Amino acid sequence: MRLFLLALLVLHFPAMAQEDMSAKAWLDNMSQALRDKEYKISLIQLQADHIRPLVYIHGKIEDQEVAFLEHLNGPPKNAVRVGNTVTFIEHDQPAYSVNANRIQGILPPAFAGNISALESGYTFVLGGRSRLAGRPSQLVRIIPVDDFRYGYQVWLDLDTYLPLRYDMLTQDKQLLEQLLVVELLVLDDVPAILNEAYKQKWPGVISQPTRDAGDNWKFKWLPEGFKVLVKDSHRLMGSHEAVEYIALSDGIANISVYVARAGDAMMPEELVTRNGLSLATERIGNAEVVAVGKVPAETLSRVAKSITIE
Amino acid sequence: MDKLGQEWVSAAVDGEVDAQTLAELSADKDSHEQWRDYHMIGDAMRGELPKTMNLDLSASIAAAIELEPAILVPVQPKLEESQPTKKSNVIPMFKQFGQYAIAASVALVAVVGVQNYGQDSAIDASPLPVLNTRPLVGSVTPVSLQTGSVKQNQGYSNVQVMEQRQRINAYIQDHMLQQRLNNGVTIGDNSHSERDLVPVNN
Repeated sequence: MRLFLLALLVLHFPAMAQEDMSAKAWLDNMSQALRDKEYKISLIQLQADHIRPLVYIHGKIEDQEVAFLEHLNGPPKNAVRVGNTVTFIEHDQPAYSVNANRIQGILPPAFAGNISALESGYTFVLGGRSRLAGRPSQLVRIIPVDDFRYGYQVWLDLDTYLPLRYDMLTQDKQLLEQLLVVELLVLDDVPAILNEAYKQKWPGVISQPTRDAGDNWKFKWLPEGFKVLVKDSHRLMGSHEAVEYIALSDGIANISVYVARAGDAMMPEELVTRNGLSLATERIGNAEVVAVGKVPAETLSRVAKSITIE
Repeated sequence: MDKLGQEWVSAAVDGEVDAQTLAELSADKDSHEQWRDYHMIGDAMRGELPKTMNLDLSASIAAAIELEPAILVPVQPKLEESQPTKKSNVIPMFKQFGQYAIAASVALVAVVGVQNYGQDSAIDASPLPVLNTRPLVGSVTPVSLQTGSVKQNQGYSNVQVMEQRQRINAYIQDHMLQQRLNNGVTIGDNSHSERDLVPVNN
């Protein structure tokens, strides 16, 4: 009888462990699963009126993470990641590689990184359980500490801790962006396509000769948790306008701040797109400070207003 | 041609056979030459020969008859010439396909345009704070940004609106591109932090 109880306890142990797990622990497990597991995820990305079906395949070859992202609809648009190099293969330009530790454009890269780095801007709260992609899942809310950024929700597979759904929400719980996993396959072996991608010779990482050290820009105010990632001066891709550039991030949300000579055409003071991307402009003399990012437009205005030069 | 046949033709020439035999004779091509020869012999005997004469009249008539249907149906050599033009017809067909493909892609663009317009109108219902401009719609990647029209409420000229739109697009595209380029940099890696930044009082 005692043995039976013990057996029951052992059998129950993993489930019990999950019951006791903190929201942070769930996210830590997700981060590890995203990096270590071999899987194929078919998902749908919803952004405003855009719906994009995607396939993401991830595996490990010789201790290096190899991943492949494919857009299923429209002109071919793929990304391959081998180790810390991501190559974008798109129909309208030659393939190019960048240094990156995740393929950008699906989940926030921070989800596979150090979750603790997010704690200054967000709190983690456990939600209920639900069934997604045919699997039981646990909801974890990533709640912003203030009104200066958006909130997130992520549903994690009970088995693998891989995300099955991801929502980006405004303060009024308005959905801005959603990733919905349709099928999750946990793979035993590295799929052939990743082996091929690993062997393939990809173009070298594009050098950025234009990345001069920018001026010494400072911010009088930044929302809690936001830090300067990069400062440089470069030319805008489309218009070749020379700008001073500062990249800010709180781990999930990224803000780009540009300082440029004001153009003839007035930039809008504030602009909000339906997928959460906002833009704010502050005009100081004949200079223009433009802030862009997936945060509320008021945040961008305040950031743009608080910039100073030392 | 046997002796009996010759006599038979000779009799026909002299009009000594009935209609049925004559019909049989007309069907027999080999006898035609003899028919002609007998007639000529008869004509010569009666002194009715013309000064010049085409000895092979039936052949030229036959040739003329051969030519006759050429007027109704394209003549053989002409048909052979038209063969290559038939082949060249295939090429325009492919050209047409090309045109269809272009037309289809144009149609696709048109649909995208319509969708964007739809978004524009739908945006009015958006509860998000919208000042000055209507929102613009962008996709994730910088290289294939799809944008709807950005309209100013303040009666700017079309050129200014276009210019503004281009500048907004340039900034948003650059922001998207920077996301890709900065991806390798994570918060922990950088020595910069807002605590290092000394507030400046102006």
